[in-house]
Amino acid sequence: MTPIASPFTTVSLPTAALSGIDWLSPGVLLAAAVTCLAVSLWLVLPKAGRSGTFSRRLGLLLGAITLGLFIATGHRLGNLGEEAVLLTVSLVAVISAAATITCRSPVYAAIWFALCLSGVAGVLLVLGAQFLGVATIVVYAGAILVMFLFVLMLAQPSGLTTSDRITNEPLLSAVAGAVLLGLLSLSIGRLSADAPACCRLPTKAAALGATAESTPAASVDLLAADQVARLGGELFGRHLVAVEAIGILLLIALIGAIAIVSHGLEGDQAETSSLQEGRQA
Amino acid sequence: MMLPTLLAAAALPLLQNGLFVGAILFSLGLVGILTRRNLIVMFLSAELMLQGISVSLVAWSRYHGDFGGQVLVIFVLSVAACEAAVALVFVLQAFTRTGRLDAAAWQSLREASLPRSVDHEIPAFNDAMPSFPRLTQAGHSPATDEAAASQRDHV
Repeated sequence: MTPIASPFTTVSLPTAALSGIDWLSPGVLLAAAVTCLAVSLWLVLPKAGRSGTFSRRLGLLLGAITLGLFIATGHRLGNLGEEAVLLTVSLVAVISAAATITCRSPVYAAIWFALCLSGVAGVLLVLGAQFLGVATIVVYAGAILVMFLFVLMLAQPSGLTTSDRITNEPLLSAVAGAVLLGLLSLSIGRLSADAPACCRLPTKAAALGATAESTPAASVDLLAADQVARLGGELFGRHLVAVEAIGILLLIALIGAIAIVSHGLEGDQAETSSLQEGRQA
Repeated sequence: MMLPTLLAAAALPLLQNGLFVGAILFSLGLVGILTRRNLIVMFLSAELMLQGISVSLVAWSRYHGDFGGQVLVIFVLSVAACEAAVALVFVLQAFTRTGRLDAAAWQSLREASLPRSVDHEIPAFNDAMPSFPRLTQAGHSPATDEAAASQRDHV
């Protein structure tokens, strides 16, 4: 009994292959999200050759689609839909982070970064790190970011330069970032307590490299009322030497910054004086 | 033995969400530091990557019930402050030498085998300047003596 070669078998093969894919599986959604992210970042980044308000708008639309796809993927990967507060603050952080790197004006980028910092502080608060949430706002948005803005206003007071309107290799970089994010979220989605031994989450004892003799301290309640006091106790107890070292590092950075500035000034004066001597001679 | 397992199962989605937000911030910072040309924006992107790392560390700290991750984030904050101080001094020095905040102004430091990159087709910046609100004029401006105003010893 020889099988009759039907012309429909060859035709129906691609359809069968297409219908074999579950279009709503997390892998397909993740791939679509990664592609959308790469294309939208590439469209929004300033490029040579075109001023492109249309492509920027298309990129923003694609970015919104990307966010939706990632939310849909994350709902299956982890449980992103549950925590509404975490979702809100992380959306603030992520959207303003994207605006930070795509905004043409550096001053606007710095201000978007301040908004991103407030979103990150909200994420830290949700994750139970109250002191770090407040310290992020005070140290970053209050001190470091103001310093950046000061240098921007000092050095570039007259708006956009040409280098702000184009970027280096926007397509390759967008693809690299999107692929990195896809790989990271794949491995994050695979984290689970009952996974096979290859990709099981490390327990606390394994993470600390504990042996039979030295058992690690028991898990503490990070959400206790005296959380900040306990964090201080940990910081100045187990990590006292590291705190001293970081203090010395801050001092060295301060002295180094002053030394570089004063040496640079002396160098400039020496250069100009030698130039003047050369002209006189 | 049963209770820690159950607690870990409940904490797992939170850990995954935190790690995911951290991964997004890190990737966006990576794209920024690879593409942008302004030195200040490059440093902002580096700070963005540090924020992603901080979020991941705090998520792990919450998952394991240990203050180690939060302590590490405090150290990250301190190192970022040192980095910003020294980096801004270097940026100011670079600006006084070249007059630009462009990273390509220092492309003479590139490898000898690489060609010099020249910008072509720089798009015109045709977005209209944003219109800032103006105060309505109230009354007439008083008559002032210009010479006296420029020579007064205090304001």
